[in-house]
Amino acid sequence: MERETRVSFGRVPHSLFSGDLREGSWQLHGDQFLLRGEGHHYFHYRQGRGVTVERGSDADLSEESLWLNGSVYAAIASLNGLLPVHASAVAHNGQVFAFTGPAGSGKSTLIAGLGNRGLAMFCDDTLILNLADDRPIVCLPGHKRLKLTPEGIEVTGTAREERVSRSLDKFYARPPAGEVGAVLPLARLIFLEDGGDLQISPISGAERFVMVRDEHYTAHLFAAARNFDRASQFAHLSCLARQIEMARFVRPRDTARFDEGVATVADYIKAVA
Amino acid sequence: MTVITKLTDRFTEADIDQEIVIMRLDNGEFFSLSGTATKLWRLIDGTRDEEAIVVAAASEYSADESEIAADVHEFVGCLRAMGLLAVR
Repeated sequence: MERETRVSFGRVPHSLFSGDLREGSWQLHGDQFLLRGEGHHYFHYRQGRGVTVERGSDADLSEESLWLNGSVYAAIASLNGLLPVHASAVAHNGQVFAFTGPAGSGKSTLIAGLGNRGLAMFCDDTLILNLADDRPIVCLPGHKRLKLTPEGIEVTGTAREERVSRSLDKFYARPPAGEVGAVLPLARLIFLEDGGDLQISPISGAERFVMVRDEHYTAHLFAAARNFDRASQFAHLSCLARQIEMARFVRPRDTARFDEGVATVADYIKAVA
Repeated sequence: MTVITKLTDRFTEADIDQEIVIMRLDNGEFFSLSGTATKLWRLIDGTRDEEAIVVAAASEYSADESEIAADVHEFVGCLRAMGLLAVR
């Protein structure tokens, strides 16, 4: 991935097909990916040639690293047979415990909270899975810095660093227990859900299929990159559902009970690993 | 004997734990089978008619054939209505 994600600057095509590419949208064709940010800000990737960025005069450069580390990185992973999952993760005893949920569900804040209990961060926001071997699925170390909302910083007591971008009210933060930079097997994919009582419970059977099917974040990118038809998409999701151990973590969204929730998760991880 | 067969070109399936997920290829809709339904699905192997499925299922569950016949009939009818089974 390091070789594929190297960045250079210059002119790039403004469309991989006929017609213009709208702001904030992307195209994928063969071994190429093209994304347009705001204004004339283009990101072009071609397998084996890395990423070329074209900065128009109206490009918002404060967003550039977000585009590169977000959609562009996910597309590069997908085109190279790796599956990006919308998840943040910690590592313990040589295994990865990943937490997934919609934007704003508290993934990063939970990672910072677990860091306060000695669990090192494995990745934030995007977990890259290597599905090349049947078992176990292994995870590539994260490429993004930890990003927290002001509320996340307050509830975890994490030291705030610089603001992420002008448009995003988030700040970079140093993971309290550091980071792990090794390729490790995935022990659990844990879905964050809101609820009244703290509880971690396993997900089994067909529900696993439903859960991975509903993980929409970059599924369309991966499906497009792999040229999936309906049957092969089903086979792919079934394979994931069979291979990935899953659980759900239900907790009240109450800052007064945040530490209690973190303790519950930390105990769970230490019992499993 | 009228044998019940699966129309395998119309769906794809996957075993996950003890359950089966089936997706219709024509519309992408999927559903899951668990418990007894999983067993009945496996008994539809292209060699049995409905009565033979009832006999095999009753034997499997040590149940009376008359108790299980209505369930098998409903199960087969439902899957036929979905276009996943044929009776030949």
